Amino acid sequence: MSETLNHQEQPVLGRERSSLQHYLRRSRRFLLIGLPLAFLVIWTSVPILWAFMASLKEPLEIYESNTFFPRSPSLEAYQTVLAIDGFGKWIFNSVLVTVVATIVPLILSILAAYGFARYFFRFRHILLLLYLVPRIIPRVSLIVPLNDLMSNLGLINTYWVLYITYIASAVPLSTWILVGFFKSVPKEIEESATIDGANMWNRLRYVILPIAWPGVVTAAVLCIREGWNEFAFVLALVTETGMRTLPYALYTLRDSMGVQNFAVYNAFTILTVLPLLIVYLLLERRVVESIVTGAVK
Amino acid sequence: MASSTEADDGRLTARDWFADRATHAVPYLLVIPGLIFVIGVLGYAVIGGFVLSVNETDMFLNKSFVGLRNYITVFNDPRFQASLIRTIVFVICSITLGIVMSMIFALTLYHVGFGRRFFRGISLVPYFVSGIATAVMFRFVFTTSGGFANFVLYKFGLPTPSWLGNPYLAFMVAVFANCWHMVPFSTLILLGGLQTVDRDIYDAATIDGASGTQTFFKITLPMIKPMLGVSLIWVSYISFSTFDIILAMTSGGPQRATEVVSMYMYQLAYLQLDFGQGAVLMVVLLSINTLLSLFYIYFFVLSDMRDAKEAKT
Repeated sequence: MSETLNHQEQPVLGRERSSLQHYLRRSRRFLLIGLPLAFLVIWTSVPILWAFMASLKEPLEIYESNTFFPRSPSLEAYQTVLAIDGFGKWIFNSVLVTVVATIVPLILSILAAYGFARYFFRFRHILLLLYLVPRIIPRVSLIVPLNDLMSNLGLINTYWVLYITYIASAVPLSTWILVGFFKSVPKEIEESATIDGANMWNRLRYVILPIAWPGVVTAAVLCIREGWNEFAFVLALVTETGMRTLPYALYTLRDSMGVQNFAVYNAFTILTVLPLLIVYLLLERRVVESIVTGAVK
Repeated sequence: MASSTEADDGRLTARDWFADRATHAVPYLLVIPGLIFVIGVLGYAVIGGFVLSVNETDMFLNKSFVGLRNYITVFNDPRFQASLIRTIVFVICSITLGIVMSMIFALTLYHVGFGRRFFRGISLVPYFVSGIATAVMFRFVFTTSGGFANFVLYKFGLPTPSWLGNPYLAFMVAVFANCWHMVPFSTLILLGGLQTVDRDIYDAATIDGASGTQTFFKITLPMIKPMLGVSLIWVSYISFSTFDIILAMTSGGPQRATEVVSMYMYQLAYLQLDFGQGAVLMVVLLSINTLLSLFYIYFFVLSDMRDAKEAKT
C-alpha cells in the first residue's frame, strides 16, 4: 500500500518544479527505467515468442528468416506434433507423474511443516537441517548412484521410480516454504481453538491451513513446476519410449526427426511449456507475492 | 506445550504416562514420513555415490573395491581438468552476468510506476520454462539461418556468425541461456529485499544531498545484503549444476567448449558406462555444492536460529 502511495506522490513533486526541470527529470526517469524495462520484456519474451512465431511459419519461411511475424500463420505444425506416435502417452505420463509428485509431497510437507513450526522437540534443528540440506544437492549428481539403486530394485522403467525420486526432491522445498507460512500464523488463534476443544487435526485443518492457504498454493505451484520440468531423473531412470515425460521427449525429438523441421520442433516446445505457464498465470499473484516477501528461498 | 498432559499434582498414573509418551511422539510422527523419502532417496544416493566412487563396475554392474584408483585416474585426466576449469569460468561468468542483470531488473521493477503486476508476472515466466525447453529455444534463437540473433544482425547489415559452431560464442550462448533461466527468481528475491528498505531512509539521503549512485552503494546494497546473499547462493547453485540446458543445447560441443563437469559425468557414466569414475565426478560436484551450502547455512540459517534463540530467552 505505502509503495503505491509513494509512487503517486512523485509526479506531484515534479509538477511543483519548473517545467524544464520537470521535463529533464522525466526524460532521465524514462532512460533509467524505460530502457531497462524494455530490455527486460524483450529479453524475457523473445525466446518464447520467436519459437511461437516459428511454430506458425512454414519450414522454408523459417530458413529465410526475413520477418518476425509469420506471413500466413498455420497450425499445421501443431497437428503434426499431436499426430506423433506416443505424444498422448507422454502428456499422460507428465500429467500423472506431476499430479502424484504434487499431492504426496504436499501432504508430507504439511505434516512436517506443522511439526517444525509448532512443536519443540529433541533433534528438531538436526531434523530440519536434514530436510533442508538436500535442496542444495545438485540433482544431476545423484543420477549415477540412483541408477545403481533403482536397477538393483528392478524399478527402472516404472512409474514408481519417477514417483519416488520426484517426491523426494519436492518434499524439502515445499516443507521449507510451509514452515515459514505456518510459523507466521499467530499462536493465539490456535490456543483459543484448543480451549474450544479442537484437537491437532482440527487445528491444522480449520485454523492453520485456511490462514496459510497462500503458502500451500505457492508450494503446490512449485511442486508442479518441479514435476513438470524434471529432466535429470527421467533421463537416467527411464529408457523405454513409452515411459518418457514431455521434457525427455522434447530432448530426444532432435534425434528422432530425420530432417530438422523447425516448425514442428518449436510447436512441440510450445506445447510442453504451455500447460505449466497456464497454471502459473492463473496463480501468478500468489506465487510472485510469496517469492517477493521472501517466503521462497 | 508438549508435556502439558502431565498430571497437575505431579503423580503420574500409567494412563497419563502413555498419554504423555504419545504427545511426545506427535512431532516425530509428523516429521518422519517426509524424512523417509528425503533420506531414503537423496541420502542413499549420496552415500551410494561415495561407495561407487571407490569401486569399479564391469558391464554387468558387478562391483570390486579399488580404493582411490578412480580418483587418481580422474584427477590426472586432462579432460576432467579442462571441464573443471570450464565449469569455474562458466559459473563466474554466469554469476557476474546473472547478479548484475537481476539487480538491474529488480531496481527497474521497484521503480516502475505503471503495470507493476504485469511486469513482475512477465519477469518470472522463464522460471517456469523447463531447462530443456530453454535450451531448445535458445538454440533456435541462435541458429545460423532462422535464428533471431542473426535475423536482427542481418537487418542491421552486420555479419551473421555461426553462434553454436564457434567454441567461444557457443560458450557465451550457454551462459546467456543459463542466465535467462535463473535470473527471474533472483530478481524477485532482490526485489523483495528492496521493498523491505524503509523509504524514509532514501528521503533522508536525498535531503542530505546524496547522489543516486551513492545511495545505491552506501544504503541500498548494505540494506539488502541478506537477500543479495540468497540470490548469490541460488545463482551459483544453479550454475554449478547446470546440466539439462547444456546437454540439450550443445551436448558439450563444439570441440568440448561447453563440456562442464556435470556433462562429463553424464558422458562417463552413461556413454562410457564407467560408473566408478562417474561417481568420482559426482563427489566433486557434491563437495563444491556442499561447501556453498555450508556457507549458506552458516550465514543465513544458523544466524537466524541464533536470533530465534535470543528472542526466546
